[in-house]
Amino acid sequence: MKFFSTIAVQTTRNLQKTWPTQVMTLMTVSLSVLIFSFFFLIYTNMIKTGEKLGDDLRLTIYLEEEPVLEMQAQLVRKIINFSPVEEIRFTSRDDAFKRLATQLGDNIDVLDDLDASFLPPSIEIYPKKSLSTLAQIQRFSEYLSTLPGAIKVQYGQEWVERFNYFTKLLRIIVLLSGILLIMTTTFMVAYTIRLAVVARQAELEILRLLGATNNYIRTPFLIEGFLQGILGSSFGLLALFFLYRWIQLRFSGPGILQLVEFTFFTPSIIWIIIAASIILCMGGSFSSMRKFMRI
Amino acid sequence: METKPVNKSIIEIVRATKIYSPDVVALEDITLSVPYGEMLFLTGMSGAGKTTLLKLICGMEHPDKGLIEVAGKDLNRIKAKEIPRLRQQIGMAYQDFKLLADRTVAQNIAMAMEVAYHNIRTIKTRVIELLQKLRLEHKHDALAGRLSRGEQQRVAIARAVANSPTLILADEPTGNLDSKTTKLVMELFENCNISGATVIIATHDENIYRGANHRVLELHSGRLAQQDKWADPTLDNMS
Repeated sequence: MKFFSTIAVQTTRNLQKTWPTQVMTLMTVSLSVLIFSFFFLIYTNMIKTGEKLGDDLRLTIYLEEEPVLEMQAQLVRKIINFSPVEEIRFTSRDDAFKRLATQLGDNIDVLDDLDASFLPPSIEIYPKKSLSTLAQIQRFSEYLSTLPGAIKVQYGQEWVERFNYFTKLLRIIVLLSGILLIMTTTFMVAYTIRLAVVARQAELEILRLLGATNNYIRTPFLIEGFLQGILGSSFGLLALFFLYRWIQLRFSGPGILQLVEFTFFTPSIIWIIIAASIILCMGGSFSSMRKFMRI
Repeated sequence: METKPVNKSIIEIVRATKIYSPDVVALEDITLSVPYGEMLFLTGMSGAGKTTLLKLICGMEHPDKGLIEVAGKDLNRIKAKEIPRLRQQIGMAYQDFKLLADRTVAQNIAMAMEVAYHNIRTIKTRVIELLQKLRLEHKHDALAGRLSRGEQQRVAIARAVANSPTLILADEPTGNLDSKTTKLVMELFENCNISGATVIIATHDENIYRGANHRVLELHSGRLAQQDKWADPTLDNMS
């Protein structure tokens, strides 16, 4: 108990003396957490959207001729041998024509002079969820185009590829902002503590001569690191939450946010970000103190 | 205050030599034994090695040759984690005071007790008691940097004895004091000694040890010139 009260007094005294630098560091940590968590929030939401869109993924093979029953069975076997699928559906020329007519609705008259033969028969394939990456889909699509009688394979390539590249870009941004977060928090806190150590060199030397233990000298600095971590990340996440609420209110009408279900972090992710910030800040503080203790 | 072991020295120095770079011999071949509870004076001219000897005893510096044992601990082999505990048992009043100019007098004195994790109430009481003894009670909240050298010296002495250490080392403790204040300071050291503390005072002020019933060691150019000389000459024959 005496240890804690003594350390509390020492920490309060330190904070009172160095508050301008502490505030600057706190702002840097908050900003770093805000930048990182902003991109991370977009990334997690894009991943979620990607998963949702993946559920609706369908590959269509357009065929030259309608396959007879034996041929259908052979095609199914070949497809399943390459990759397991949820469902395979054959669509004849007539079925395709009927579907188009239904889709045209009141404009059905455009089909008046046409018969079903202008539409190709097709096979619709609904792949399993395990087929999730663009490379896997591309490979599957290439294989399907080699099947006997196949003219063309479609799965909304352009859209899927763009979405995939956007997710990749986001992943890089999240990675970079993560590195930025690690560097700023660790180095800023480490340098703030180092500055404080240098500024208080004389005091620390006297404390050592008076018999202060390493814990007595180190603990207040570690507490400062802890406070920087917990307060910095909390302020950063709070700012992000207000930004998120503002975006929700501002763009609540029809648009991309209606298509994408935009959600905030789950409590567990919030705790992980706060814990990571605390560890980084305390790590920075510890490394500075270790250098001083070695002197 | 720790119980002193019977028939044992708190300080054992065997053939200690300290050389400062490049080749300044500060202390040479010093052998000395100080029993628990003794009060002794270390005299000699400026540059004789008094401060260096005190620094070796409190572990601020290490000898280039020889052995130094304080409270049974060999300072050459002491573990890093044992040093703070040992230093808490040693109260050192430095010649350059080593006070924090931006802290109050009370805070400077309290530091010695804070590192030993004494509770706040005990620290406050002890600080007031020491300030009264050294006639500095009116300077309780004054910044140490604003004090006169004589006042700073008294604060440094108060800090050295605050923790009731087993060993008190004072480097020229009366160098900036008038005779009246010198008497107060010496009374404080005497009282600490009566309470069981070993006290070593480095001084070149003959007035503070003349006629006293304590051993005087004289250093001359880094060597112990005279051992077992008593401040009261009548005791020399008895030793």
